[in-house]
Amino acid sequence: MSDDAEPQRRSRSGVGVEPNSRTDGGSVETTVEAWTPSRPALSTRLGRPLVLGIVTLVVLVLSVPVVVTFVSSFAETATGILPRGFVTFEHWRDVLGLGDDQMAVIPGLAFSLAIATGGMILNVVIGVPIAYALTRYEFYARDWLNTLAIVPLVPGVVLGLAFVQTYPNHGRSALGLIAGYCLLKSPYMVLTVQSSFQSMDLVRLEESARSLGASWPRTFLTVVVPHAKRGILAGCIITWTLAAAEFNFTFMVVSGSPDPFAVFLYRNTSNATYMQQAAAVSVYFLLVVSAIAVLQLIGNRGFTTIRDQ
Amino acid sequence: MSVRESTAASVRRVAVFAATTARPTTERERERRRIAIMCLPFFALATVAGFVPLAMLVRMSVAADVIWIEGWSLDAWRTLLTEPTYRRVAWNTVWFVGLATVVSVVLGVAVAHVLEKYDLPFERVVVAAVSFPIALPGIIVAILVIAMLGRQGLVTNAIAAVTGTSAIDLASATAITGLFLGYVYSLVPRATMVLRGTYAEVNTQAEEAARSLGASRWETFYRVTLPEIRPGIAAATILTFRSGLAIFGTVLLLQSHYVITLQIQREISVGTYRPDVAAAIGLVYVVFIVAFTFVGLRFVRTDTVTL
Repeated sequence: MSDDAEPQRRSRSGVGVEPNSRTDGGSVETTVEAWTPSRPALSTRLGRPLVLGIVTLVVLVLSVPVVVTFVSSFAETATGILPRGFVTFEHWRDVLGLGDDQMAVIPGLAFSLAIATGGMILNVVIGVPIAYALTRYEFYARDWLNTLAIVPLVPGVVLGLAFVQTYPNHGRSALGLIAGYCLLKSPYMVLTVQSSFQSMDLVRLEESARSLGASWPRTFLTVVVPHAKRGILAGCIITWTLAAAEFNFTFMVVSGSPDPFAVFLYRNTSNATYMQQAAAVSVYFLLVVSAIAVLQLIGNRGFTTIRDQ
Repeated sequence: MSVRESTAASVRRVAVFAATTARPTTERERERRRIAIMCLPFFALATVAGFVPLAMLVRMSVAADVIWIEGWSLDAWRTLLTEPTYRRVAWNTVWFVGLATVVSVVLGVAVAHVLEKYDLPFERVVVAAVSFPIALPGIIVAILVIAMLGRQGLVTNAIAAVTGTSAIDLASATAITGLFLGYVYSLVPRATMVLRGTYAEVNTQAEEAARSLGASRWETFYRVTLPEIRPGIAAATILTFRSGLAIFGTVLLLQSHYVITLQIQREISVGTYRPDVAAAIGLVYVVFIVAFTFVGLRFVRTDTVTL
């Protein structure tokens, strides 16, 4: 009833409404006076500039320190507001081991990268199968296992503390570091590979291969895994990059030489000049930038496990 | 049925289950074997590198001889419960990381909102800039904070030049504000990543309907968008808080606030060597994180959780 009454009331009270006759006998209401919108709400006028301002500030705070550090690695001195004396490669030479030996970052970085590679390979071996099992099958305690696999439940510091006591002989070795890195970074691998599997019709893929006569192991290794290669590659890049500069676990565990990259940075915070340190950190920045470039190339949204659809 | 009989029955059931999994005859049993095989490598590593060290941590915390891990004593736990230092460290950690989490999640919502709703120039660059710090370890974040806010820092010297005060008085890298910025620097990208995943699934038609029905932008956000992204906000809060608790490198270098990770490191330093107390703190920490995560995930659909 009220639905019917509504338009009538509006047309009666409407300002300047005059009925026009139509050829089919109906009538059309035209408003002579233009509809004057009420003043837009405060949030409509100010919301977007305000939010954009906040986000610009966030992006600046996140990126300016990185850019400034990278730029000042080419400067001669950093006293005063802005670094001065461009362009010198002296600090880069020191860092790359061609000048002052004290700051040569390459041995530590090479050691870290080798261990990170080991952890990455181990991560493929353990991460891809469990990601498949969690995506493909429904089974008892699947949700719990899922949480265990994608949420790093033991923080690096605590794991490092326990590791050294549990394995006094091997905990501090490269093998111990590989195992630790692998466990700490496995969630990233499981998540990226899982999202790859989720976008495929696994049951159909598997059934097609099986009905064409492939055994189950062969189906998994030659059909399923190759289909997820982008996810696996993304997982590899992320786990590798993160492990290369892992600090918390490494600091608690490591004792010998060469110092892994992040521990090396920590030990040299007091005796290196700011520009040398900037150059050492920039080496890692370059690594991360190339990782992000490759990740965006294979369809990831930056340095993250989330993929563009 | 007696207890012994029912125990025997369940043992038999488990044995049959294991036997059919090892030597399957039906397709269902074969599938079970596949699941077991696929999960086995992960479990092997988790046991060797995770569960066994954790068990060792328990043993350490109740050892009388902390060097050789022998004997039994509840000394470490008594110290932990009675000394006010540890209560202060716990409180320090919770309020500091809690505040950093709230700030990071709010900023993360803003960034994710802008990236999803607005047409930005150079969107890929913005995405790269926002995700970049995820790859940075705490130690590098601390170096960046010093580069900006330290005595030689760019921001410090710029403010000093403008206001005419001494840069040394202005330096805030090793003050608690510098540490807080370092935390937010590490946490905003993590919060943003979770929230971007949620924002991608927001129903834009409902928002458009709300707008065309006359809701203001704020009303649309508050009444339509916010309820839709609430699971994402919960997931982001859980992840961010956990990541914040685990930050170590930043606080180790800046040394301005005693949080739990720094306390663990102090317990095993030369001079104050108490590995049993360190182990007890570590256990409290792990139990808290596990409980927090599982309780938190009750309120969240698991598939919205991404790192």
